[in-house]
Amino acid sequence: MEHDSQIPEMGHVEATRRRFLKWLIAVLAAVNALIAGIPFLRSLLGPSVAAQKNEWSKVAAVDLLPQDSPVDMRFMAESGEAYLHNTVLRSVWVIKHSPEKISVFSPVCTHLGCYYQWNGQADRFECPCHASVFAPDGKVISGPAPRPLDTLESKIENGYLLVKWENFKAGVPTKIPVA
Amino acid sequence: MTSRPIEWINRWINERWPLSAVLRLAIDEEIPGGSRFVYTDGSAVFLLFTLQAITGILQVLFYVPTVDHAYDSLNYLRTEVPFGWLIHGMHFWGANLMIVVLALHMTRAFIWGAYKKPRELVWLAGVLLLLVTMGFSFTGSPLTWDQHGYWAGEVGTSIAGTIPVVGDMQKRLLRGGEGMGQLTLSRFFALHTMVLPLLLVSAFGLHIIAFKVRGTVGPWDALKRRLSGPFWPDQVYKDVLTGSAIFILLIFLSVFVPPVFWGPVDILDTNYVPKPDWNFLFLYQVLKYFQGPLEPVGTVGVPTVIVLLFVTLPFTDRNPEKNPFRRPLVMLCGFIFAVTITALTLLGYYSRGLAELPAGSPAVSSLLGPDDAGAAKTPSVSQPSDQSAPAQKTGGMPSATVETNSRTMPGEGAHVIGNAERGGAVFGNYCAGCHGAKGAGGMQNPGSDEGKVPQLNPVEREIYNKDPKAFAENLDRFIQHGLVPPGKKPLLSMPAFGDTHGLTQQQIANVEAYIMSLNGIDRGQIVNPGMEPRNFFILVASVYILMLFIQGGIRIKSGIP
Repeated sequence: MEHDSQIPEMGHVEATRRRFLKWLIAVLAAVNALIAGIPFLRSLLGPSVAAQKNEWSKVAAVDLLPQDSPVDMRFMAESGEAYLHNTVLRSVWVIKHSPEKISVFSPVCTHLGCYYQWNGQADRFECPCHASVFAPDGKVISGPAPRPLDTLESKIENGYLLVKWENFKAGVPTKIPVA
Repeated sequence: MTSRPIEWINRWINERWPLSAVLRLAIDEEIPGGSRFVYTDGSAVFLLFTLQAITGILQVLFYVPTVDHAYDSLNYLRTEVPFGWLIHGMHFWGANLMIVVLALHMTRAFIWGAYKKPRELVWLAGVLLLLVTMGFSFTGSPLTWDQHGYWAGEVGTSIAGTIPVVGDMQKRLLRGGEGMGQLTLSRFFALHTMVLPLLLVSAFGLHIIAFKVRGTVGPWDALKRRLSGPFWPDQVYKDVLTGSAIFILLIFLSVFVPPVFWGPVDILDTNYVPKPDWNFLFLYQVLKYFQGPLEPVGTVGVPTVIVLLFVTLPFTDRNPEKNPFRRPLVMLCGFIFAVTITALTLLGYYSRGLAELPAGSPAVSSLLGPDDAGAAKTPSVSQPSDQSAPAQKTGGMPSATVETNSRTMPGEGAHVIGNAERGGAVFGNYCAGCHGAKGAGGMQNPGSDEGKVPQLNPVEREIYNKDPKAFAENLDRFIQHGLVPPGKKPLLSMPAFGDTHGLTQQQIANVEAYIMSLNGIDRGQIVNPGMEPRNFFILVASVYILMLFIQGGIRIKSGIP
């Protein structure tokens, strides 16, 4: 636009003015789009407040658990997701090694999030989706699972097993909690 | 060099689709008398509608149209989703502003004579757009399914029901049954998000094409009409400036005047006075003048006459003269119409509601159940002995392995954002007797270890929490399940308002919001704003100011007029 600063004809000034207006329109429209667009996109990228409230749930009476044999324990837990406050049925795999030592596995396969099963004859966990196989201690025996079964935090109180439910990211080699 | 591929794409498209012709129709326009800021009102309505569509779609990603979660899901968006407050705020204020700007737009068209031959279709499509917009407003309000929205829907559909012959059918069509319920909400939602948008886009197409064919009407002064200016970029630039101003106004309103949390729907709360939204107040006021057998005059007659006036205007006023000073009769009629609508709106706004009860009405205390009727006097507490009381949906854990004490769990009321003002009224009736006015001081409570009823303002430290949700839950446990204070033989105990249904869950939510407000916590506080609203506004305003200076600098430096 430098050459416009010499004394121009009327037509020239008018042309410059229009070009300038077009630029201004574009810039203003872009700025407005960004001012709304960035927050709007931000809202879609996920509520970052911890929606999941992880509280201890009573899962079983320790005395009644069988020794060294995995059992699928079901329990009701309060679940908070976004604006829903529901009581949901959860399931965990529990193995009592001794009255003091109990393993609790999340029932979700670490590969892609299917619910796996216990094969009592072969003494191993098997996932029906992609045939991942896990040992009773959770280690991967075969199949596409990238990491061992996820353990859940647990404790024994007044003869009851208490478990803290958590979800973990599927398909990655490390155990990463997800909200 | 860069223009070659663009030219190629341009040619490729034009051989298959008339892009250039469409663009020419859109921007090639010589405006008689040149561009003016007054003409930006139409594009302002367009911008507002576009923003409504965008914020509306964003809201649908969070909102669910179910009676049990509509209010919660909206409040989740408003308080817990980053910038959810901005999305809802802009939609709410955009809706209000759209009606204002639309009214200005029509007023301008009226004064400029823009409805006259050959622009009748522009006007008629515009009238259709006005009706659709009013439809948006009518169906949008109840979607919040809070006290305000519910009653707006209830009253609105009842009015539709008073129409002779077809009224009942019309009401049932709108409500999906006799009463207001889930089907009503679904219908309003479908109308608001599917039917009306389609209608609006069609009517808009009709409006804008008719407008572009004939162009702006321009100034009525023949002298001023001699010169003309281009629509692009001159008028578009002014449109964008007005649009930006509206945009910043919407953000300002969303930040500093957020929509009210009206509290959840509570049909038992007879203290609520339903009033329609401001843009329907004129009709509401009209209805008061036509009661009894004359009712249909107000409900059908007046709106029909208004619509007919609008529709027939281009055909009744066939005078080609556009100068308003030479059309005194039409101008006078328009003026009288505008004054009447404004006056009725103001009268409606300042009037007492049709159903307004005198203060201290007995309606509330009659809601007390028999087992805690003495709540305020001698609460010999009735601990809920029957566990079967279906007090909460969320509280209990019906599991065999786990015995959870549902009495220690917060109830439904804790998860709902209540209205502190309405809670204050409930508090006055139910709680102030023992906890003192505004919770400031408790009554003596002989026989209890503390010796008096706990003060709620300020509340005990263990109950207080900065997090509004946690605070509400802490309060909720006491209000739901009651408490016998420790001590030998306390005279007073806290009644279990939730378990005994002494208070509805909605009232409990409101009372919690009130007690929290006494302690300086806003129940509707934004937990996860994305960015503090005030800071966001300051940032946006700074960007605009910076832009103003930069463009001014360039103008001066390059000598651009």
